Amino acid sequence: MKTAVITGATSGIGFETASLLARKGFRVLGIGHSEENCLKAQERILSENPDAKIAYFWGDLMQQREVLCLSRDVAAYLSENCDGELNVLINNAGCVRSWYATTDEGYEQQFALNHLAGFYLTHGLLPFLKKTKGRIIITGSKSHKGIKVRWGDVMLSRGYNPLIAYKQSKLCNVLFAKGINDRYAAEGVRAYVVDPGLVNTDIGNKKTGTLVKLIWALRKLQGVPPTVPAKTYAFLCEQEKAPEGLCYYLCRETTYSKQVTSENASRLFALSERLCGICYGREAAV
Amino acid sequence: MNVLITGAAGGLGRAFAAECGRRGYSLFLTDINREGLLCLQRGLERQFNITVTTKACDLTNAESVNDMLELIDRHSIRFDMLLNIAGLDFEGSFMGREREKIIEIVTLNNAATLRITHAVIQRRRKGRCFTVVFVSSLASMFPMPLKATYAASKRFLLDFATSLRQELKEQNVNVLALCPGGMVTTRESMEGIAAQGFWGEVTTNPLETVARKTLDRALDGKGLYVPGSLNRTLSFLGKLIPRSIVAAVVYWRWNRAQNRWLNPAKE
Repeated sequence: MKTAVITGATSGIGFETASLLARKGFRVLGIGHSEENCLKAQERILSENPDAKIAYFWGDLMQQREVLCLSRDVAAYLSENCDGELNVLINNAGCVRSWYATTDEGYEQQFALNHLAGFYLTHGLLPFLKKTKGRIIITGSKSHKGIKVRWGDVMLSRGYNPLIAYKQSKLCNVLFAKGINDRYAAEGVRAYVVDPGLVNTDIGNKKTGTLVKLIWALRKLQGVPPTVPAKTYAFLCEQEKAPEGLCYYLCRETTYSKQVTSENASRLFALSERLCGICYGREAAV
Repeated sequence: MNVLITGAAGGLGRAFAAECGRRGYSLFLTDINREGLLCLQRGLERQFNITVTTKACDLTNAESVNDMLELIDRHSIRFDMLLNIAGLDFEGSFMGREREKIIEIVTLNNAATLRITHAVIQRRRKGRCFTVVFVSSLASMFPMPLKATYAASKRFLLDFATSLRQELKEQNVNVLALCPGGMVTTRESMEGIAAQGFWGEVTTNPLETVARKTLDRALDGKGLYVPGSLNRTLSFLGKLIPRSIVAAVVYWRWNRAQNRWLNPAKE
């Protein structure tokens, strides 16, 4: 049985992907923010599919100490129940903010959750992925195009614009995937970014201001239901031979920003390693 | 530049700490939340490669403050700036709150702030300018029913800062009172601002900008900073309109906002 870990798995794209993968026979380990939402999501999946192998873990991925705890809990679970093997890690959890707000580390929240949390969690679970030549899938967005990483001020504390912060965090997703492939494709571990397109979820309604809420309420009406992008995740999980592309949209390869170079990916890797206090290449042994 | 920041692990404290970090200042951070301090220390060291010292302290407890001062003296740390960020509020009417919670507001916002200010100015670096920032509030400009204790405690700080500024002028100390509107410092404040609707959002000040401009102004010798042009207009109006009328308007507004926030089901 193949195992998949999915963050942000209690609603929206993450939930539908968890539900779909469970139906396709994956053991699914979901990660969510609150115990309440996690138990609800688990119940919903089990009510539709009583045979689903599903377990949930909860914590605030924005705070690094909680990422570390979650990654240790999931690692212990994998060692105990899955022979220390993980086939797919889906870094999906993300947020939108209307204001500059920081985590306990003093990091800007969109950067911290949309990029750093996945970077940190992947580091913790990489040894388990290596054992299966597993895949990492990150929820990106077409909106990563048309901007550059502001290297001198990645937290955007000068002239903060919430939309730019979101776009930059999504560009970081693609750079991270590129960096993983540069480092680990030789060992069989590959990373992908899924552009879900415009999806009818609540991402723009959580802890945002009236303007963002209003725009999002109108915009999401044109979005597809989250079951649509879920198929792209399942497609990437199920391919016998690892697909060669980097970004996928509707089960097909799609284009990405010219900013996605090995040089920028390495730069982001070094910066993120410093901000997380970790070092890729020095993972814990399984 | 050696800076002591109180309430450093909260939303506004973190924004000030990050701003100081960007400028390369050395930081001494204190807060009642020990774990939050350690997280912030790590984050700042990783981002800015600066010297950060932390000491968890309950500013309302004289003994706890003495412990911290002893640590400061043992290492002969001397300061160029004090940012008094620590402060608190509880939502609800005067009679609707627990007695001791109300005392806590005044104890921290006022008594504890005076205690640490006195101690840190005594420990200023010799022969250099010294800067003190008090975080008052837009609320200090008006009588604020349903936030009566908080607003009055902030008024105390505003008046105190103005007087202290005069007292210490000749000793090369600059005192600035910051009077911001709402700020998105916690999860609750995000919800609170959303509950106030339009007026909540337009009087909300961006944290990162407030931190940057406050430091700019304080170092430039200014004495008062009300961020945001709308907030400056409101504070001006607050001086023109009779206080009893302001109180009535504010009561009407807060009553609605708090009902909406605390009882969302009734909508």
